[in-house]
Amino acid sequence: MKNILRELRAAKKWSQGDLAGELGVSRQTINAIETEKYDPSLPLAFDIARLFKRPIEEIFEARA
Amino acid sequence: MTSNLYSTPVSKQNPPNTLESVLPCSGHYSLKKDLRLNFWLAVAGMVYVIDSELAKRHPEWSVAMRTTTALAPLVPGLLYLRSCMRFVGGLDELQRRVQLEAWLFAAIGTVIVGTAVSTLGSSGIRLGVLEHGLGVGPAFTVILILWLVGSAFANRRFR
Repeated sequence: MKNILRELRAAKKWSQGDLAGELGVSRQTINAIETEKYDPSLPLAFDIARLFKRPIEEIFEARA
Repeated sequence: MTSNLYSTPVSKQNPPNTLESVLPCSGHYSLKKDLRLNFWLAVAGMVYVIDSELAKRHPEWSVAMRTTTALAPLVPGLLYLRSCMRFVGGLDELQRRVQLEAWLFAAIGTVIVGTAVSTLGSSGIRLGVLEHGLGVGPAFTVILILWLVGSAFANRRFR
């Protein structure tokens, strides 16, 4: 899945570690999501959407 | 009720479990997490050592007594299993996937190695200590090596 997590994080001036702390996951998980090597679970995707106050589909987009 | 056993809520105060949190030289070591995971393993080890010593010193004990002492390490062993399940439940979701892949790789790899050793043995090829198939010790060694290889590969994929 494509995502704009890196842009959203950068807008908040958070490091990957900061975001990982907010979401209760490891920094490796955030890095893997941002580099699109790993698709987050649905609960984590909801947590991300809630944290950035955006709908999930605005953050994540399925590859064509 | 079982969902409480297998999932641990994570937060800033309770960061997710990672493998590094229980590896002393990883730089992210947490004694608290290590104790939560391995306390009952240490107890099981101690009980095993004490039981072995008692069994050697008291061969005159009844069958019931010897059975009880021989099986005593199973109790802390089962509690260790519960600790492992809780640790996995609290694992970071990426780590859980990495570990699932690594253990699957190790388990299937060990079955393949065991089958190969057995097949070679039945074909009359002498394999030294493995002459009678893959015993418990070599099987644990193979599974550990394959788990390390599987973990390294899986971690590399998501780096």
